[in-house]
Amino acid sequence: MKQLIAEAVRTFRTFRAVAFATYKEWSAYRTHSMISLVVGPVYFLVQISICRAVYGSGGADSVLAGMPLNQLISYFGINALIGYLTMDFADWNLQMLVRTGKFLTFALRPVDHRFFAFAQKCGHRILGFFFEFLPCLLIFRFVFHVKLVPPQPFWAILSVLLGFIMTFIVDYCIGLSSFWFVRAEGVRAVFRLLQSVFSGALVPLIFFPSVLQKALFFLPFQYMLYVPSMVCTGSYSLAGTAIPLPQIVAIQAAAVAVFFAVSSLLYHRALHRFTGAGA
Amino acid sequence: MSRFVRGFRKYFRLYIRCARTAVSAAVAYRMNFAAGMIITFFSNILFPLVTIVIYGAGLSFPGWTFYQVLLIQSIFTVSSGISNMFFQGIFRETNNAVRDGVFEIILLKPVEPLFYLAATSINPESSALVAGGCVMFGLSAAHVPGITGAAVPVFMLFILAGICVMLGLTLVMAAVSFKWVGNSRLPELFGSVLELAKYPLGIYPHSVRTFSTFIIPVALVASIPAAVLTGRVESSYIAAVIPCILLVLTGIVLYKRMIRMYESAGG
Repeated sequence: MKQLIAEAVRTFRTFRAVAFATYKEWSAYRTHSMISLVVGPVYFLVQISICRAVYGSGGADSVLAGMPLNQLISYFGINALIGYLTMDFADWNLQMLVRTGKFLTFALRPVDHRFFAFAQKCGHRILGFFFEFLPCLLIFRFVFHVKLVPPQPFWAILSVLLGFIMTFIVDYCIGLSSFWFVRAEGVRAVFRLLQSVFSGALVPLIFFPSVLQKALFFLPFQYMLYVPSMVCTGSYSLAGTAIPLPQIVAIQAAAVAVFFAVSSLLYHRALHRFTGAGA
Repeated sequence: MSRFVRGFRKYFRLYIRCARTAVSAAVAYRMNFAAGMIITFFSNILFPLVTIVIYGAGLSFPGWTFYQVLLIQSIFTVSSGISNMFFQGIFRETNNAVRDGVFEIILLKPVEPLFYLAATSINPESSALVAGGCVMFGLSAAHVPGITGAAVPVFMLFILAGICVMLGLTLVMAAVSFKWVGNSRLPELFGSVLELAKYPLGIYPHSVRTFSTFIIPVALVASIPAAVLTGRVESSYIAAVIPCILLVLTGIVLYKRMIRMYESAGG
């Protein structure tokens, strides 16, 4: 038992050290993060304008695919904010390490690279929390007067945390493809394209055809962004099914567990393929 | 005069040579080129998805039919494609060269640095975007009644003005990268402003309309040319051409001034 606790403490210290080092490293580029202070509100302004124009054309009480105007505006605001919290580039980083052969240095370290990359992401997103999430939250709240407080904060926080982990796991799996393809830019680009459509970043998934909505239950995309965003707005539905928040968060947790297992399998297979040669 | 003509000929030949080299280099890796074209095309034509969803649900942008909105978005796609193909590379190359502290290699060439960067960063992959945008334009124009031949010259003028806006923004971005070294997110900043051009101008508040027509005239990239084709001409639109020209001139002057500030230190 004592050994287990000592191991857990050591793991936590490693995690904290990597996260803090990443935070410090990226702090040098904090003004780059602050570009989001313009980009986020401008995109949001466009989305709000589209929503108001479209809902206005259908009458004041119009509901689009079961979503009233206020919920849709909140969805887009929350969606943007969650994007700042869960943003990930583990795929790019891992691909670069494999392509250049620098992954060798990680293969020699007494730390699992996936764990290392996750700690890096945490450090990086803590920076994002202060320089992107918080300022944009204030802009959305006080300039656009959008309601952003989740009706059920516990499930909302849990769902965002699961979305954070899911985004990392899936991106890491995409990065692992470089052990087979070496240059996996094409795989990354295709995945980003699919993610932008099927994660609900462009439009809520309930606007898609019914068959596609059903298929999305079995794909990872909605668990990265759509589920957390909907949970934060206070209700979830897809493919004509309204699911209570505790249940959809449980489904999200199960999806995270499945994709964690898939990424573990891929990770161990990938390590066997690594030659350290670079390209 | 003959000196000017000789200079022009030299630059023209050089540009053609660079364009040929860019095409040859791109098709050397055929699969990569084809995949790049397909990905570029699909990742840039996603935004009409919102329009399809809206009109599919039986709603609309007030006063605009589906094909009229698609017309705006096809014009935006074509303008983006032209911009990506011919001058977006100026920012990318400047940003990389300044970050790595190797911009002096460009300064040592016996041609104008700005011309050199434009000529050597042609991106043939974006031709898919231009072609796709043209198809989308043809499709939507065929479903928009009342497009008259008389509107075409004014439409072309605004298209040119819109391309000037894209060029001006690229030059300003590239100039900023001399001071804000290695910031790869700058295109996001300017891209967000261009977002305003993808939908009918009338959906925005009055202040945003004024900003996007006369201050940073991104509305001329797509929404105003489409408005002209669909018979929504306003006399004030002509005045919006002036800020487009000013934006390009500002971009050129700013870029040249920023070159003087280059320190070769990298970042």
